[in-house]
Amino acid sequence: MNYFISLFRIIKNGALNFKRNIWLAIASTLIMVVTLVILSILSLLFIVTNASVQTIQERVDISAYFKTGVSESRVLTIRDELNRDARIKEVAYVSSEQALINFKERHKDDALLLESVDELNENPLPATLQIKAYNLEDYPAIADSLNSEKYQEFLDKVNFEDNRVIISRLNSLLSFIITVGLILVGVFSAIAILVIFNTITLAIYNRREEVEIMRLVGATNWYIRGPFIIEALMYSLIATIVTSAMILPIYKNLLPQVSNYISPGIRIFDGGLQTFFMVVLLQLVIAFLLSTISSLLAIRKYLRI
Amino acid sequence: MIKFENVTKYYANTKALNNVNLLINPGEFISLVGMSGAGKSTLIKLLIGEESLDEGRIMIDDIDMTKIKKVDLPYLRRKIGIVFQDIKLLPRRTAFENVAFAMEVSGHRKDQINRDVPKILDLVGLLHKKNNFPHEMSGGEKQRIAIARSLAHRPVLLLADEPTGNLDEVNANEVIDLLLKINSLGTTVILATHASDIVNKLRKRVITIEGGQVVVDQEEGKYQL
Repeated sequence: MNYFISLFRIIKNGALNFKRNIWLAIASTLIMVVTLVILSILSLLFIVTNASVQTIQERVDISAYFKTGVSESRVLTIRDELNRDARIKEVAYVSSEQALINFKERHKDDALLLESVDELNENPLPATLQIKAYNLEDYPAIADSLNSEKYQEFLDKVNFEDNRVIISRLNSLLSFIITVGLILVGVFSAIAILVIFNTITLAIYNRREEVEIMRLVGATNWYIRGPFIIEALMYSLIATIVTSAMILPIYKNLLPQVSNYISPGIRIFDGGLQTFFMVVLLQLVIAFLLSTISSLLAIRKYLRI
Repeated sequence: MIKFENVTKYYANTKALNNVNLLINPGEFISLVGMSGAGKSTLIKLLIGEESLDEGRIMIDDIDMTKIKKVDLPYLRRKIGIVFQDIKLLPRRTAFENVAFAMEVSGHRKDQINRDVPKILDLVGLLHKKNNFPHEMSGGEKQRIAIARSLAHRPVLLLADEPTGNLDEVNANEVIDLLLKINSLGTTVILATHASDIVNKLRKRVITIEGGQVVVDQEEGKYQL
């Protein structure tokens, strides 16, 4: 027995089933498209929101500006003290010299500004420590402790931009997307499974004579079942292609705007196709899963081997 | 060789077959006779694994039907050709395609199919009808196509369950002649029938079943019911 020939014939018979059953096949494919569109839009929203949260979280830090004249060894001692704090992830030291270099680099096009800095006798920029914590919740407490008397004589200013409100809003948006997404995808998956189940059941009914003869002339079980599974997999493949074609313009045009709306000024979403292909892959996996489940259910119930 | 050893089969509480013992040698032609409900069809269903037996043992060559696994049944069925009263041809396929169908399901290559199907159609005398659809053929011709299909795997055993049941005398004789021809080429044939004239003309071994039991088993037997 040649397995390759049999596999080819199974696929051919599956395609033939699809053709014979064309209107129901279209209905099954359409309901699959609806399910996949919902799935894709929600996953893209999730991806953008999630990326925004992460970007904003990464940008949260505390900057502690030292008074001029505080010795570098003192600054480093304080840095080491902070490093021992369990809440703190990392402390970066930027010396005033480095700060000046950074400043000049940042304003290298502004000749007037650079000139005026050069005219000053001493470096006007303070040394700073940039502190990142493990948890967002710890930032206010860390900022408070830096403002305490202990550091009062060395520190000029403690700068802490509190993004926690935005982040918590985004997080609740995320959990909203997940909840609604799971419910919607669940409901439509169930509908898709039912529709495909019925289509395959009808296909089995239409081919009952052939199935009976196949059994009598010694077709293996998978040779008989295979075409019905192939038929269902064809719905998912076509649905994935159609959905992807529909999603691509949204992905290219709408998503950057959404991303810009959620976190203005931060380029989170660059329109690269990598994320898109991940979503297509997700669609394909979910679609294949739905097809396999429903066709196997129909075969189990109605195809006597 | 086919061996039935104390075979009993129940449907609900009634015994469809009761303690059947049979020995069928390769190359034999056997008429299996009995009234409707006597157990002929049950016996055939047991042979192709459509039903499982409750007591006893059936051996087909070295295959023990009590122990055969479901996944192995297709391969057993390729050794056994089956023909029915209701013929069971695919209406939207030609004679050629109906025979080719049996070869396709077992993974034969296209060139093998194109080579073998005409030979089989020639054997049943219907090569000239290879492009005809079943509705364009007579009952006897259809049954001969069904026999051709059952021969596609070169079976060692051909089971014919009332193959002439729906046919007039001329068509029935054509089918019986074909079965005899196939038997003469070496295939064991079991013909289940209740057509007494056919059985009497054959002058072959006759096994008579009544109430699930073998009541007569004669070489060159007659129809005795």
